[in-house]
Amino acid sequence: MIKNYFKIALRNISRNLSYTFLNIFGLTLGVASCLTIFLIVRNELNYDNSSSKANRTYRVTLNALDFNSNISLAVLPALRNDFPELEHSTQVFYQPDATMQVGQNRFREINLVLGDNQLTQVFEYKWLAGDEKTALSQPNSVVLTSTIAKKYFGNTDPMGQVIKFGDQATKVTGVIQDPPTNTSLPLNLIISMNTFFKQPSTEFWNISGGSYAYVVIPEHYSIKQLQSRMPAFIKKNWGADIAKDARLLMQPLRDVHFDQRYINNIVTPTSKDTYYALIGVALLIIITACINFINLATARAIKRAKEVGVRKVLGANRGQLIGQFMGEITILVLTSVILGVAVCALFLAKAGTWMNITISAGQLLQPEVLGWIAAITVSVILFAGLYPAFVQSGFQPADSFKNKVSASKGGLSLRKALVVAQFSISQIMIVGTLIVAHQMDFFENQDLGFNKDAVISVRMPVKEKREVFEQHLATMPGVKSYCVSSGSPSYNNSWAPFSAPALGFPKDNVTELKFIDEKYTDMFGMTMLAGQKITRKAPTDSTNKVVVNETLMHDLGVQDPQKFIGQLINVSGQQATVIGVVKDFQSESKHKKIRACVLQYNVDRFRSASIQLQPENMPATIAAIGKQWSQLFPDDVFKYEFIDEHIAAMYKQEQKVFTAFQLFSYIAILIGCLGLYGLISFAASQRTKEVGIRKILGASVQSIIGLFTREFVLLIAVAFLIAAPLGYYMMHKWLQNFAYHITIGPAIFFIAIASSLVIAALTTAHQAVKAALANPVKSLRSE
Amino acid sequence: MIKITELQKYYRTEEVETIALNKLSIDVKEGEFVAIMGPSGCGKSTLLNILGLLDDPDGGSYLFNGIEVADFNERKRADLRKHNIGFVFQSFNLIDELTVFENVELPLIYTGVPASERVARVEKVLDKMQIMHRRNHYPQQLSGGQQQRVAVARAVVNNPKLILADEPTGNLDSSNGNEVMELLTDLNEQGTTIIMVTHSEHDARYSHRIIRLLDGQTVMENIMI
Repeated sequence: MIKNYFKIALRNISRNLSYTFLNIFGLTLGVASCLTIFLIVRNELNYDNSSSKANRTYRVTLNALDFNSNISLAVLPALRNDFPELEHSTQVFYQPDATMQVGQNRFREINLVLGDNQLTQVFEYKWLAGDEKTALSQPNSVVLTSTIAKKYFGNTDPMGQVIKFGDQATKVTGVIQDPPTNTSLPLNLIISMNTFFKQPSTEFWNISGGSYAYVVIPEHYSIKQLQSRMPAFIKKNWGADIAKDARLLMQPLRDVHFDQRYINNIVTPTSKDTYYALIGVALLIIITACINFINLATARAIKRAKEVGVRKVLGANRGQLIGQFMGEITILVLTSVILGVAVCALFLAKAGTWMNITISAGQLLQPEVLGWIAAITVSVILFAGLYPAFVQSGFQPADSFKNKVSASKGGLSLRKALVVAQFSISQIMIVGTLIVAHQMDFFENQDLGFNKDAVISVRMPVKEKREVFEQHLATMPGVKSYCVSSGSPSYNNSWAPFSAPALGFPKDNVTELKFIDEKYTDMFGMTMLAGQKITRKAPTDSTNKVVVNETLMHDLGVQDPQKFIGQLINVSGQQATVIGVVKDFQSESKHKKIRACVLQYNVDRFRSASIQLQPENMPATIAAIGKQWSQLFPDDVFKYEFIDEHIAAMYKQEQKVFTAFQLFSYIAILIGCLGLYGLISFAASQRTKEVGIRKILGASVQSIIGLFTREFVLLIAVAFLIAAPLGYYMMHKWLQNFAYHITIGPAIFFIAIASSLVIAALTTAHQAVKAALANPVKSLRSE
Repeated sequence: MIKITELQKYYRTEEVETIALNKLSIDVKEGEFVAIMGPSGCGKSTLLNILGLLDDPDGGSYLFNGIEVADFNERKRADLRKHNIGFVFQSFNLIDELTVFENVELPLIYTGVPASERVARVEKVLDKMQIMHRRNHYPQQLSGGQQQRVAVARAVVNNPKLILADEPTGNLDSSNGNEVMELLTDLNEQGTTIIMVTHSEHDARYSHRIIRLLDGQTVMENIMI
C-alpha cells in the first residue's frame, strides 16, 4: 500500500512539474529563510553564552551619573579581597586598535585586551598552546588567537616569538582558539595586564575608558546577596561619600548584549525585540509557503476528484486516501527541506557579507538544529497537508463522477482567506521594510548638526609632531580644510562631571567633553547660537573658556543662549567660563537623546585630525596624506576612516536587521507571487470554457483580463485593511527603540498597497492575457 | 440478491427539489443480467450509484443479500463494496498515473491481497481480457476499447458477486462495444450478477430483463427470451 502511495506520488509530481516546481521552490525558499533566521537569532540570543559558567558570570558596572560599563581598576582587587568566595574574577583593559610589529612587519590590529590569567578561566577560551594558569602571569607576555598566530607566523611555532606593541617587546606565551564572534568582549590578542599596570590603583573615580571587570560566583551563591553587600563594600573601601553617590551593579553577562542603558560598551547592545521580530518574519515566510501548498492543493483537488472517486469505488476508505495524500505532501516537503537546508548553507556563506554575521554552515548538523529541521518538516507536513488531504479524501464518488466537486464553496472561501493572509503578510513586510529603510536613511542622512561628508579622521600617535602634520595638511591641494581635536563630533569617548552652583545646580551631572581647536566648529559647519567660537590658547594662558551645547544650557535651566554667555560652570572640578553656545549636534547614535557637551581647547588632548577632502581625486589625496603621515610616524600604520562610515557603523545592528528584513521580505513576496501565479494559472485553465463563451458573446480582451484580476484587487484591498493597522502597530513599537525616529506617514501605506497591486498585476498578467487571447473555438472544442 | 423497496432520492437546491427516485422498488436475483433504460434524468445513474453504495437514498429500503445497507456508514459501505461489487463506467475512470497492471491491481491492494497473489490474479484477468500485452502501458496510450477492457478487468479482479455497469459502451464504437458486451455476458454466464444502465436497445438485448424508468419510477419491465 505504502509502495503504491509513493509510486503514485512520484508520478503525480513528475506529471505536474509546474505545480511541483511552484510548491518545492516556494517551500525551499521558505525553509531556507526560516532556518537562516533561526540560526541568526540563535547566534544573537546566545551572545556571551559560550562559557559553561556564563549563567554565573557578572560584569561589575558603575551606576553613578549614568550606567557605565567601565569601572576603576581599583575595584577588582578590593572585591577579591572582601569576597574571597568568588570563583573567578578578572579585569581587562580593552583597546579598540593598536599597531603590532613582528620583525619588520607592522600590523594595525583591532580588539586588543590587557588581561590576567583569570580572564581565560572566566570566558573558558580553548588553549592550543601554552599554560592557561601562567601564560599571562609575567609582564610582557602575549597570548594570540589562532587566526592572529597564523597571520603573524604562518606555520612557524608562535610560542616564544617576540611581538612589539608600542615600545614594549612582548613574548608569545600562549595561543587560544578564536573566541566565538557573538561575544561582548571581542579580542585578537591578550597582553598581560602587569605589562602596563604595575601598581594597583586605589582611586574609585579613576575610571579608564576600556576597563571592564567580571566575576564568576560559585554555584548556589546568591547574586542578590552579593549585590546587597555592595554599598557596604564601597563604604568600607572608599568612604561614605562615594557610597552615597555610586552603586556597583552586578550585570549578568548574558544581559550585556541586550542592555541598552549602558554607555562605553565595546559592542553596541541591541534589543531582543528585534530578534523576536525576525522570528516572526520567519514564521510568516513559512506560513506563506504553507498557504501556497494549501491553495494549490485544494485548487487541484478538483482535478483529482475523479481519482478519489475511483479509489473509493474500488474500496479505499478515507483514512487510506488521507494517508496517500499525506504521503505525497511528505515527499514534496522532504525534498523542499533537503533543498532548503542546502540553500540555507548558501545564505549563511553570504550572511557575513550581507549582515556582518559569521555563522558556520556546520551548525546545520548540530543535534539541536537537526531537531528544528525535523520540527519544521513535521509542522509543514501537518499544517500544509492535513486540510487538503481531508478535503480531497472527503469527495463523494457520485459527486466526483458528475464533476460536482468544483462548486465547493467552502474551499473557495478558504482559498480567498488564505490569499488575503498572504497579501497581508506581504504588505506588512513591505511596510516594515519601508519604515526600516526610512529610519536607516534618517540615521545617516538627517541633519546631525555637523557636516560629515568627505571628511576623514586620522590618528596622530605622537603629539609632538602634530604641528608638522598640520603644516603638511595646509599645503596639500586636495585638502579643503582640516582641524585637530580629541575626536570628530561623532566620536564620543570622554565624559566628565559638571555642575553650576552659581545657577543653583551644585550637584554633579554628566557631560561629554571634547577637546577641539579653533578650526573645529567651522570645518564641521556647526552652528553657533550665541557668543564666540573656541579660540587658540597660548600655553601660558590659564583661563578656562568653554563652548557648550544647547542641551547643557537647558539642563541648567537657561533657555536663551545669549543669557548663558559669561556664566560660570564647573567641569571636572575646574571652573570654566562659557564663551559660546553651539547648536546641538549628534555625537552618539540616535538611539539616545543628545546629552550635554562641553567643547574646550586643550592642545595636549589633540590626538586626531579631521580632514575635509576636495571632491576631486580623493584617493590620490588620501594617498598623499598617508605618505606624509607614514614619514612622520614611521613606527605606526596609517589608517583612516570616513566619518560618514563611522556614523553608519553606529547603526550596524539596525543595518543587519534592515538587510535581513529586506532580504526576507523579498523572499516572502516572491513565495506569495509563486502561489498567486499557480492559482491564476489554475483558474485560467478551469475557466477556459467560460472565457470561450464570453468571447463568442462579444467580451473584449480587457474585460476578460478584468475577469481574472478584479477578484485579486478586491482581495488586496481586504488584505490592506488587515495589514495597515498591524504594520503600523508593529513598526511604531520598533521605532520606540530610538530617541530620534521618523514619523510613520500615509505615503508608506500608499506605497505598500500600490506595490501589492503592481506585484499582483505582474504575476497574474501573463496567464490572464493568455486566457483572454485564446481562440474560443479551440477552448470550447477542448471542453 | 438485491431488493429495494420504495427507494427515494431527492436533489435539492435553494429553490427547487427534484425527485430522482420516486418510491422505486426492484428485485434482482443472483446470476441475473438486468438492463436499466430510460430517458436522461429518469434516475438510472442515481439508482446505480445507490445500488453501488456510492450514494445514500433519502428513503426506502435496500437489502443486499438480505442485509439492510441503506443506513450503512462510509466505512461499512466501502468494506461491502470492495468485496462484493465491481464497477464499469462509460468514461472508464482509469487512474491516469497508474499502468494497466497497477490499475487492475488496485482493488486487490484495498482488499489486502498479498503481493505475490496479486500478480498472479492480475495477470490471469489481463490474459482473460486479452490485454496482457499492454500491462505496462498507461491509460492514455490505449484505445477506448482497450481502456474499457482494462476497466472490466479491474471490475472483476476481486471476483465480485455484482457488477454495475454505467453505459459501458457509451464511449466505444460498435465493434469495441460488442466486445465489451460479450465480456459482460461471459461474466454473467460464469455466475456474476450484472446490472447495466444503457441507452442502447442493442446492448440491452444482451440482458435477461430490461427495466424501463421514467421520472424515478418503473414504467415497464421486459423479460428477454
